[in-house]
Amino acid sequence: MGQKIEKTFSVKEPLDRVWDFLSDPRKVVTCVPGAQITEQLDDKNYKGTISVKVGPSVTDYRGEVQIARLDAQNHEIEILGKGQDVRGRGSASMKMSGKLRALPDGGTDVTSVSEINVVGILAQMGGRIITEVSNIMFAEFTKRFQERLQQSSEAPPETAEVEPIKAGSLAWEAAKGVFRGKS
Amino acid sequence: MILKTSPEVCGMGHSMKRKEDLRFIQGKGNYVDDIHLPGMVYGQLVRSPYAHARIKSVNTENAKKLPGVLAVITGEDLAKANLAWMPTLSYDKQMVLATGKVLFQSQEVAFVVAEDRYTAADASELVEVEYEELPVLVDPKKAMDPDAPVLREDREQKNNHIFHWEVGDRKATEDVFQKAPVKASVHAFFPRCHPAPLETCGCVADFNAATGKLTVYMTSQAPHAHRTVFALVGGIPEQNIRVISPDIGGGFGNKVPVYPGYVCAIVASLTLSVPVKWIETRSENLQSTGFARDYHMTAEIAADRDGKMQALRVKTLADHGAFNAAAQPTKFPAGLFSICTGSYDYSQAFCEVDGVYTNKAPGGIAYRCSFRVTEAAYLIERVVDVLALELKMDPAELRRRNFIPSSKFPYKSCLGWTYDSGNYEAAMKLALDKIGYAELRKEQAEKREKGELMGIGISSFTEIVGAGPAHTFDILGIKMFDSCEIRIHPTGKAIARMGTKSQGQGHETTYAQIVAQELGIPANDVTVEEGDTDTAPYGLGTYASRSTPTSGAATAIAARRIREKAKKIAAFLLECSENDLEWEPGKFYVKGAPSKAKTIQEIAFAAYTNMPPGMEPGLEAVDYYDPPNLTFPFGTYVCVVDIDNGTGEVKVRRFVAVDDCGNIINPMIVEGQIHGGLTEGLAIAFMQQIDYDESGNVQGGSFQDYLLPTAVETPHWETDKTCTPSPHHPFGAKGVGESPNVGSPAAFVNAVVDAVAHLGVKHIDMPIAPWKLWQILKEKGVAA
Repeated sequence: MGQKIEKTFSVKEPLDRVWDFLSDPRKVVTCVPGAQITEQLDDKNYKGTISVKVGPSVTDYRGEVQIARLDAQNHEIEILGKGQDVRGRGSASMKMSGKLRALPDGGTDVTSVSEINVVGILAQMGGRIITEVSNIMFAEFTKRFQERLQQSSEAPPETAEVEPIKAGSLAWEAAKGVFRGKS
Repeated sequence: MILKTSPEVCGMGHSMKRKEDLRFIQGKGNYVDDIHLPGMVYGQLVRSPYAHARIKSVNTENAKKLPGVLAVITGEDLAKANLAWMPTLSYDKQMVLATGKVLFQSQEVAFVVAEDRYTAADASELVEVEYEELPVLVDPKKAMDPDAPVLREDREQKNNHIFHWEVGDRKATEDVFQKAPVKASVHAFFPRCHPAPLETCGCVADFNAATGKLTVYMTSQAPHAHRTVFALVGGIPEQNIRVISPDIGGGFGNKVPVYPGYVCAIVASLTLSVPVKWIETRSENLQSTGFARDYHMTAEIAADRDGKMQALRVKTLADHGAFNAAAQPTKFPAGLFSICTGSYDYSQAFCEVDGVYTNKAPGGIAYRCSFRVTEAAYLIERVVDVLALELKMDPAELRRRNFIPSSKFPYKSCLGWTYDSGNYEAAMKLALDKIGYAELRKEQAEKREKGELMGIGISSFTEIVGAGPAHTFDILGIKMFDSCEIRIHPTGKAIARMGTKSQGQGHETTYAQIVAQELGIPANDVTVEEGDTDTAPYGLGTYASRSTPTSGAATAIAARRIREKAKKIAAFLLECSENDLEWEPGKFYVKGAPSKAKTIQEIAFAAYTNMPPGMEPGLEAVDYYDPPNLTFPFGTYVCVVDIDNGTGEVKVRRFVAVDDCGNIINPMIVEGQIHGGLTEGLAIAFMQQIDYDESGNVQGGSFQDYLLPTAVETPHWETDKTCTPSPHHPFGAKGVGESPNVGSPAAFVNAVVDAVAHLGVKHIDMPIAPWKLWQILKEKGVAA
């Protein structure tokens, strides 16, 4: 099940500071609900986990994250992630491209294009649920990204919150989205 | 003409209320999941999330550590007992639990046994399976590419082709096409759908180590055949296997195959010597058990300018999924699809089918259908409408010009079938009159002027049911006869047992009515019992509308044998010659002296208390009926639809179904069967599909996506009948259960296409969901 999701949001912080944050997977991952970097293999490759719970179904993906492209000049980054559910119930892969653009007011525009491919139990829930789940995850990501950026003068927390995404409410939010006909 | 018995006897033609409903409506049915045996434990299958992947490892340690877990069985374990694979009904083999690799999403990988259902479910999540994903094939056309990955590495043949099957004269058909002035063609995909019976599949396997006897309570439409399969595959002596099919909550073909869950439960019970219950969840049922259809079909008709059809050419690609587990008679890899000439008198036809493997669940079962008849009926009724468009001829008139005339029966079709009887024009005329066809066409023309969309769809289908004659029909070598054994008790009551198995069709009532008709014993005094292989005579089970044509016939013949013996006893009691006796349902009397009579009850008592000297006591008979031919029910369905051009929603305004299934046993049950089948046909036409995405993920694996019709969606059905008895069936019946599912999809689709035909649309594939139709309306510039 392939999904392409494009999002744009802006933050108040200046471009350089945002870039510092975005180009460090260890920092970015703290913004992804349920995600954790477990090991750094080299400067481009990491091992990590992400836990996604939709309704009664918890999927714990374990896999690798690779920085496929890092263009400091144009402030563009491409990250590839691929993982299998630890209980063998499916896999997911993601290609995320991020691009920053300085805004006249001193803030920064963040544009991301994510292509997500899910195989297994989660994928059976259909595109409408996957898209809704992605939307909710992204909204949470944006919120945390802004918070972390604000506090980033301080040292980022060593261990991120690795609580899985709030499951019950997530399924409910997704269901509401479906009923609203939102996509 | 069937002599009508009194309401007390309630023989054929009486709308007797269903005897079985008394327990069903009180919630006192006894289904497999109602069975609880002392010491019973529970099994849960671990299934593959991938459509195609190599299994690198299966780790069961954590699952086994969970308190309450008794065993975890893997494919490798079964391989040691040579049980990792099992034969399918189509001479292919299928994995019980995967070894090496998995070939479809939800494939069975391991079986966890625990003390209770919840522990089994929890433990199944602790079985760790490491997979390596492989390229997935979901498109059967791509599966035929020379460079497509080979899915079935176990086969010698290194491609994904299963079979090529053809019938008819290719050359002669081509010759007709070359000269024909008019041609019409359609590519029609009959989507993969699923019977979705209300009760999912399941079993309780109970091996008694002390007696060596294995009892399997299971959701089986064919208990005897399954017993034989278990004996042959498992090497268990057949007398030590007892299969019991208790009440079954709908089968529709879904409960014909043997599924891995049954085998795993049996293996677990044999291993642990305790009863093991396994019951599917809804999603497991939809995702892994026998699907239906999935036929990619092309049909072409050659005709002259007057609309006389000259030749039919059909080419089909059949998607069978990962294993060829189609349930059909051995000699027919595409079932009875060669009935595709339908109700029409063709001089030439050619039909070819290629079966292929894909990364989808196995199956190809006959969903309320006599082995691919539904696909055939849909295709021919669709392409005839396309020809009508081509000729600018009224589709009813085109049909009328091409029907096999009633004078030509028995009719030998150019694809080899001998139709027993038919009167197609009469059925169509009744349906068109009833719906007011001419008026509707006028209304349609007026509405088109105003830009309103309304369509009328006709389907004049012919079925082929009641498999089947032993010379041609067998499943895994077992001939497709069926049976009945009747015992008359001393007090004149009776028990009758059959080799078939009701799944809701009302056999307990209809078979009793046949006995009542033949012997005059009130239907209420006749107990009908099916589904226990230790007591019922051998038979191939219930599917393909075969119960009435086979076991129904056997019931009449067994009853007639009893009547013969009863006549001898009556002659002895009345001290007359047998030749002096006349029969009327319920008694023998002396010709010319009706008061000198013996009732069947008196005769039954005498059979145990006062039999003629030298006569064997008792009054019973058994018959194994090998039908001389199949039966060919038919009918015409007419559907009227209105389309909302703002939403693409189709509203079925009226639906008239005229069926001809020969002589009828119970009119109320026949009507109920037609209502049910039409409702299923509606769902297939508008709502249902088991679809797959490019990664092989099931889209339609739960009732969230695979929609069931409710009272809200279901229109009012108007039914009627004509009666053309089968000349070879003992009481002229033909079978009806499947006609409405076979005949209705074309009526619905023809109606929708008819509503938009003036816009240049000649075909729309099912399911015709509002979004799909709206897109077409938008493209044609008529969406509001």
